[in-house]
Amino acid sequence: MVASRGILARLSPPAEREGNGRVRVAQSRLPVSLVALSAAAGVLVAAAAYTAGRLGYSGSPWADRAYWLGQALILVPSAVRLLSRRAVTAAETATVIVVLTVAEFLVKVCYSPAAFAFPDELEHWRGTTNILQTGALFAPNNLLPVSSLYPGLEELTSALSAITGLPVFISGLIVAGAAHLLFVCLIYLLFRHISGSARLAGIAVLLYVGNSHFQYFDSMFAYQTLALAFLGLTLLAAWRLTASPPSRERAGWLTIAVVGIFATVVTHHVTSYVLAAAPVLMTWVSRRVGHQRSAAWLAVLAWLAAVFVVGWLVFIARATVIYLLPVVGDMLRGLGSVFSSAQANATPLSGGPLGDWILSATAVLVLTAMLPVGWWQVWQRYRREPWPVAMAVGSISWYAIIAVRIWVPDGSELAGRASTFVFIPAAYIAGLGAMRLVQAGRGWAARVAAAAALAGTLTLMFDGLANGWPPYWERLPGPYRVGAYERSVEPEEVASAAWALTALGAGNRFATDFGNYPLLGSYGDQNPIGDIDYLYTSPRFTPSDADIVRAQSVRYMLVDIRLSKQLPAEGGYFPNSPPVTYLHPIPAANLRKFDHVPDINRLYDSGNIVIYDLGAVLNSGP
Amino acid sequence: MDRSHADLVITAGLAVLAGAAASAGAPTAVMVVLGIGLLAAPGYVWAKVLLGPVVTSLERVAVVAGLSLAGPVLGGLVLQSGGFSLHRATWVSLLVMLTLVGDAVLLRRRADQSNRADQHDRDDRPDRAVWTGGSATARRRRLPIWPVAAFAAAVLIAAGGVVLARYGATLQRYPGFTQLWLTPSRGHASAEELGLSNHQGTVMRYRLVLDRNGHTTATLDLTLADGQTWLGQMPFTGRSAISARLYRLPDLVHPYRHVFATVSTGPGP
Repeated sequence: MVASRGILARLSPPAEREGNGRVRVAQSRLPVSLVALSAAAGVLVAAAAYTAGRLGYSGSPWADRAYWLGQALILVPSAVRLLSRRAVTAAETATVIVVLTVAEFLVKVCYSPAAFAFPDELEHWRGTTNILQTGALFAPNNLLPVSSLYPGLEELTSALSAITGLPVFISGLIVAGAAHLLFVCLIYLLFRHISGSARLAGIAVLLYVGNSHFQYFDSMFAYQTLALAFLGLTLLAAWRLTASPPSRERAGWLTIAVVGIFATVVTHHVTSYVLAAAPVLMTWVSRRVGHQRSAAWLAVLAWLAAVFVVGWLVFIARATVIYLLPVVGDMLRGLGSVFSSAQANATPLSGGPLGDWILSATAVLVLTAMLPVGWWQVWQRYRREPWPVAMAVGSISWYAIIAVRIWVPDGSELAGRASTFVFIPAAYIAGLGAMRLVQAGRGWAARVAAAAALAGTLTLMFDGLANGWPPYWERLPGPYRVGAYERSVEPEEVASAAWALTALGAGNRFATDFGNYPLLGSYGDQNPIGDIDYLYTSPRFTPSDADIVRAQSVRYMLVDIRLSKQLPAEGGYFPNSPPVTYLHPIPAANLRKFDHVPDINRLYDSGNIVIYDLGAVLNSGP
Repeated sequence: MDRSHADLVITAGLAVLAGAAASAGAPTAVMVVLGIGLLAAPGYVWAKVLLGPVVTSLERVAVVAGLSLAGPVLGGLVLQSGGFSLHRATWVSLLVMLTLVGDAVLLRRRADQSNRADQHDRDDRPDRAVWTGGSATARRRRLPIWPVAAFAAAVLIAAGGVVLARYGATLQRYPGFTQLWLTPSRGHASAEELGLSNHQGTVMRYRLVLDRNGHTTATLDLTLADGQTWLGQMPFTGRSAISARLYRLPDLVHPYRHVFATVSTGPGP
């Protein structure tokens, strides 16, 4: 698609006509180098806030304010630079985007600077370690079995680690950081090609940063992070293919698209499904707006993606269906209840502080209001261009994820995960709306409109951080908490998991709680079970307990006595159990009951953590 | 050497050097530099092969990065299906081969284009500026001092933030702990292995009391430095109930750690 020069001209920054007829564009007083310095200072201040949290000030309002000051130093100058009415070049825009992305990634690194602590990262640490140890792909990963069927991330990281000798943690950070930055650059390039405006592309990326998964989930050491980069590469190649390149280049871009599609398919399931769906939508739109050539190329890519996805699913990754089906089922049931007026079992929109909730609601309103402005821009200027129209159609999904968030059980998490993809078209369309405001007329009204665009964009960006990850209760690192993701990872838990691997061997069925689950499955290389809370909560060890042990083939059991001292920080005590609202911690006597069962051996004791051998129970009875 | 082939020489040289360094077991610091270069080289070469001259610099860099990341992902699957084990030598061989093959294809293409250009107009070669990384004017352009200094300062400040965070992680105080364990002894059917490991952050004095079938069989006083581990064995005969109680001296009233097992010299569970 050749973005028309007329559109580019209309989207250029405000200009003043001098007496000699030449156009003079006002230069910004905020150089990009200053934006970079400010962002670096933001990283330093956020790191200082994290250090304060580690030194015992995690509950201090000053440490919390320091964190937000650091984030403001990163976000505000970037947004001001791109949303000001003054001139900005393509190189400056790209630099601001790179600076912003790198700074936010470094803040994420500073949160866990010595080792992976988030469960998803530990899952892929295990998968990578398996490849390094066995030299083979598809080795079972008990923590996330489906991940071994999508080995792209682990392959790349194990290759880097094997060649350089770097530990998996450092190699994983390099891979995740490079992939995340690449993805952001690719969507910036895509937006820029579609609109013909670097400034609009930059603003759209700023709005994409408002996606609540941007800073953490989409940059963590997880398979989606890498797959997103391949998705971006494929979309860029698709745009190039539809932009009438010379025949030699066409072959090159087609090859790049095929590489991108296949790399996405073998790296992450959901991203590959989005990749397969996107060209279908764009083919349909291209036909509707009369771009038969684009439609033909996009149809080719759609077919290729569909063949790769289905082939991989059928021949390699059949277990994906079992993995994803419950999630899809819950979502459809929840949405169905919307239309049937049934009582949906949705979780509250936000269980956090009132300020975070207000910010979240405001951000939803801002994006919801900006999209129609963007659609109007598409209708006025781009309605014969397939890519902008496809973006407009795709952006409607924003309203679907709001519905999911409100009405579907566990909808906040699903909506958050979907936002990674939904925000691509939504950010572009909202960017058109923001651009319209920035360029609105002259005088005080124009300044108010530009300020409104800046305020709206910053609201989205801060909402993405406040209501993304980490949650408010562990925004700063701090002391141990029960059932609290990163806060549940301390040396005692790590040492216990490592002991299990050394003393008991790998792959044992291990009952455990939420906090120890990812550690036992990763550093411990055990097969953890997280849905037998009854075994922990029952007051006495009864024949029913023994039946559960045999039914679930539980060989060992890890009991963390702190489950009797604290309520879980979020969710429940056990990772795979149905949601239960605990009013009191589990009684200590219930956790200690195993000490009095003759057939159960108490093998390990580190104070908070005790490991029991249930082998005799497992091999007894009916 | 024709300047337009400098990139081919560099990538091929890097690939060969990295391969040699990996075979020689070069230290990590050397392999980090060469290894990252080796990972990037195939992406660079194949982007040159696949892309035309009209792409922007950022677009070219993005495609190079994308292909560099995709190389091991797709190559690893090919190697696995070919029965190769995915270790250092295999990865290095894959990337060296991808780089050298790409170099050969690019060299051939440039030779063809050069011949065609000779037949037409030597002064009208649009790809040349792209191959050599930009025009002579662009190469002569001087970098502005203050922005470069500001960016350098930004890199140092951000790096300082990461260093501060890492240092802060080492300063974080965790509750100390002591591990006590009892597991079947490897190679001794009539003994259990007993282990004690001190992670209290300081030297600790312990008393370990060993019981068999309700009778104390041994008492040991142990002093362990932080991070030190003690290993011992608890022999038994027939079917026995054995246990170990650990006291943290001087408190001999409250057991600090406790493990027990019912064991048998016969086949285990």
